[in-house]
Amino acid sequence: MDHDEQLKLQAFLDGELPEGEAREAAEWVARDREAAAMLEELRHTREALAGFETGTQLPESREFFWSKVQREIQRRETPAPEPARAPLFTVLRRFLVPASALALVFAATVMVIRPAGPLGGTAGTEIETALSDSGAFTYRDYSAGTTLVWLTYPADNEDAESDEIGTLE
Amino acid sequence: MRAKLGRTIGVGWFAIALALLAGGQVNAPAADMKLQAFLLWGTDDSKPPEGKDYKPVQLDVRQKLKDLPLKWTNWFEVRHKDIGVVQGATSPVPISEKCQLNVTRGIGPELEVTLIGKGKEVVRRKQALPKGEMLVLGGNAPNSTAWLVVLKRLE
Repeated sequence: MDHDEQLKLQAFLDGELPEGEAREAAEWVARDREAAAMLEELRHTREALAGFETGTQLPESREFFWSKVQREIQRRETPAPEPARAPLFTVLRRFLVPASALALVFAATVMVIRPAGPLGGTAGTEIETALSDSGAFTYRDYSAGTTLVWLTYPADNEDAESDEIGTLE
Repeated sequence: MRAKLGRTIGVGWFAIALALLAGGQVNAPAADMKLQAFLLWGTDDSKPPEGKDYKPVQLDVRQKLKDLPLKWTNWFEVRHKDIGVVQGATSPVPISEKCQLNVTRGIGPELEVTLIGKGKEVVRRKQALPKGEMLVLGGNAPNSTAWLVVLKRLE
């Protein structure tokens, strides 16, 4: 007896065969002693196991139970939404506001504690004092970065006359 | 929490960097300021006077003199001196037997230049002299010529 014939006997025993096939199976068992022995053994086995089967009562209906399973699967498969990112300007502002404040404090500190130079004042000041030459004038060429201070010294006097380029030489 | 900590650390480092920069600016020793002083003679003649080996003025100096409202066409270098002056110090620069230039360096590019002739202060000028700029002191000389003392900053 092959495996299919055993399954067929099992189905016959369980009453799962259509009417025609069930009639054929009954005739087969009646004339085949091996099939009759197998059917008898299956029947005994079923009767032996029947006492151990306890029915399980679900607290909810079958449809509701599986719908819960399905919802849980869908919930796990759906990606969690990412937290909304703050705009770049907001992030920069959070950093730049305290940084700017610190920079201002340091700049103010540096300006306050900056030592006065030997000339006093700050770079870029321009003060001219002509002590003995009231006729001096100044010309500034900003494009060339040149400053000319023209003096009346040495005047065309007797000292200058004695030398080719005045009292400088 | 982690982001807040990161920001705080970032601001801390920034503040330290600023402090170092500020400290460096306050305490960094100033390097020498390199200058050149020229005594020039201006004339409309194309040659220096007989017996004088005056050289033609440097090209860049001549170019800048051309832009000034000076009537003389030719400038000759009588002599020149190289000067290095540190912040707060004064460098006396003899220009001729009777003339001297005192150069005092202030903060940054600031200079105070004093021209002394025959032992008397002729002019004192304080100004910023950035790299490449020139301060020119000058006056008339006999025979329709001129003298110039040019102070040029090299670095």
